[in-house]
Amino acid sequence: MNSPLPIETQQLTKTYRLGFWLHRKVRALQDLTLRIEPGQVYGLLGPNGAGKSTTIKILMDLVRATSGRARIFGLSPNDQMARRLVGFLPENPAPYEYLTGREFLGLAGRLAGLGGQELDLRIGEVLGMTQMTRASSLQIRRYSKGMIQRISLAQAIIHRPRLLILDEPTSGLDPIGRRDMRDLILSERERGTTVLFCTHIIPDVEALCDRVAVLVGGRLVREGSVQELVSGQVPVMELILEGISPETLQTLGVPLQSTQALGARQLVRTGDRESQQLIRKVLEQGGKVTQVQPARFSLEDLFLKTIEEAKQAAVGGQIV
Amino acid sequence: MIGAAATLAWNGFREARRNRVTVLVAAFAVALVMGAVLFTEATVSTLERVLTDLGLGSMSLMLTLLAIFLSSGLLSKEIERRTIFMVVSRPISRGMFLLARLAGNMLTLGVILLLMALLFIAELAIYQFPLHQSDFVAMSVLWVELLLLSSFGFLMSSFSSQIVSAVVTTGIYFAGHLSGEIYNLSQKSASGFLRGLGMAVYYVLPNLEKLNFRPHAAYALRVSSDEILRSVLSGLGYSAVLIGLAVLVFSSRDFK
Repeated sequence: MNSPLPIETQQLTKTYRLGFWLHRKVRALQDLTLRIEPGQVYGLLGPNGAGKSTTIKILMDLVRATSGRARIFGLSPNDQMARRLVGFLPENPAPYEYLTGREFLGLAGRLAGLGGQELDLRIGEVLGMTQMTRASSLQIRRYSKGMIQRISLAQAIIHRPRLLILDEPTSGLDPIGRRDMRDLILSERERGTTVLFCTHIIPDVEALCDRVAVLVGGRLVREGSVQELVSGQVPVMELILEGISPETLQTLGVPLQSTQALGARQLVRTGDRESQQLIRKVLEQGGKVTQVQPARFSLEDLFLKTIEEAKQAAVGGQIV
Repeated sequence: MIGAAATLAWNGFREARRNRVTVLVAAFAVALVMGAVLFTEATVSTLERVLTDLGLGSMSLMLTLLAIFLSSGLLSKEIERRTIFMVVSRPISRGMFLLARLAGNMLTLGVILLLMALLFIAELAIYQFPLHQSDFVAMSVLWVELLLLSSFGFLMSSFSSQIVSAVVTTGIYFAGHLSGEIYNLSQKSASGFLRGLGMAVYYVLPNLEKLNFRPHAAYALRVSSDEILRSVLSGLGYSAVLIGLAVLVFSSRDFK
């Protein structure tokens, strides 16, 4: 029999009721189906209000789904056994600020079922991993944003979880903090931990994720590995043209994706097939083609394109 | 599970201990009990009665204020500041979380009550006055009254803000102490609606006067064990209902 997946959701939907009489409804998530395999680093990518945090909160039983099903290692999110297997770092984490870092980790460890010498040893280990040993006896109210993020990550991994769920783990961190956070995520993956994290910072996704789901307006609009998502796009060519005005370019009858003036030259982006037609017509008009190269289609391009497409058919994150 | 709950309860006590408001209120309460001696110089009543009145009155007043402050802000602050995310995502049920936080609250109030009671007993001993059974009953049953108020504060705090919780809990404190008077007054009214309202207030709200044995202590009147048992059981029963409702509300809500 196959062992259950770390995370599996089926047609997960969440509608919030707002207002004093709760008569206004906002759909935050609609029919989200995900399967996350063991050992994967899985990214949830999307703009603000895409439903990323709602998905994570449903998985952590902080929010209850309106319909659909979520499972963690085959268990319901409100099953305490499931939560024993998960480490969670919320967005803008807020640990008890009257505690010292060490006391906070002690509390987190004891709540996760650790105790005695094992807990003491583990506290020392995670303080070292997050480079918080020196600040461990300071009250958390004296910590910087980066230190709070580190101590919060330390509490998430203190019980050696099999699944890490991280909500915007690098947000608000300086470049060094971001690099350290990425390294920690990668070292957890090396250990075999499955990681789900959500972000809108695309370089983090490119650097860390085995697979990515793009959410827009509460709906899953793309899913796959970064390579699959990017290579699945229609190739785009970049051309630099001289001796032809922008007005003339528009009258050539070739579909262009974008044009940009670079002094007397024009930087034009068009589809691969259309580029040959464009070169011919530019030459016929007496212009020159000084450069032709395939445009690198990045995840960022895909992300922006996806958002544009989804705007035209948005259903989620809206008042219904 | 019990270990996790005990950890949370102890953490609640630690939180209150490090809270400046708690420390200030506790210090002021201790000063009030000790200051009762000064009032003995400016009164025509007997010294023993003044010491008892002021000592037990200070305990009740300060601990009631503290109970309202702590209970009304505890859950709502956890939710507003989002500290709750890293705790309820642990393998502990929401009901157990709430009970553990309440236990931490009651431990804090119990420790301060004990400290004030020891000071009060020391004062009586210094003036060579006996400690009556009713003094002991008044101090012990005060803790049950504090539990009832804290349970109400917790219930309010599980779905509303700190200010709303504090205002409503304070209202319940006064209405609970005056429910007998409200009932008597309303029954003299010609309006059927007012009579019904008075009756509803009397039966729905907790009768906090039944948990008030300070008048007995002031006159050194012995309280029967039946009366103590009835009062304590009704206080604990009412608290259990409020805690049950709080668990129900807290367990079913979303933390956005």
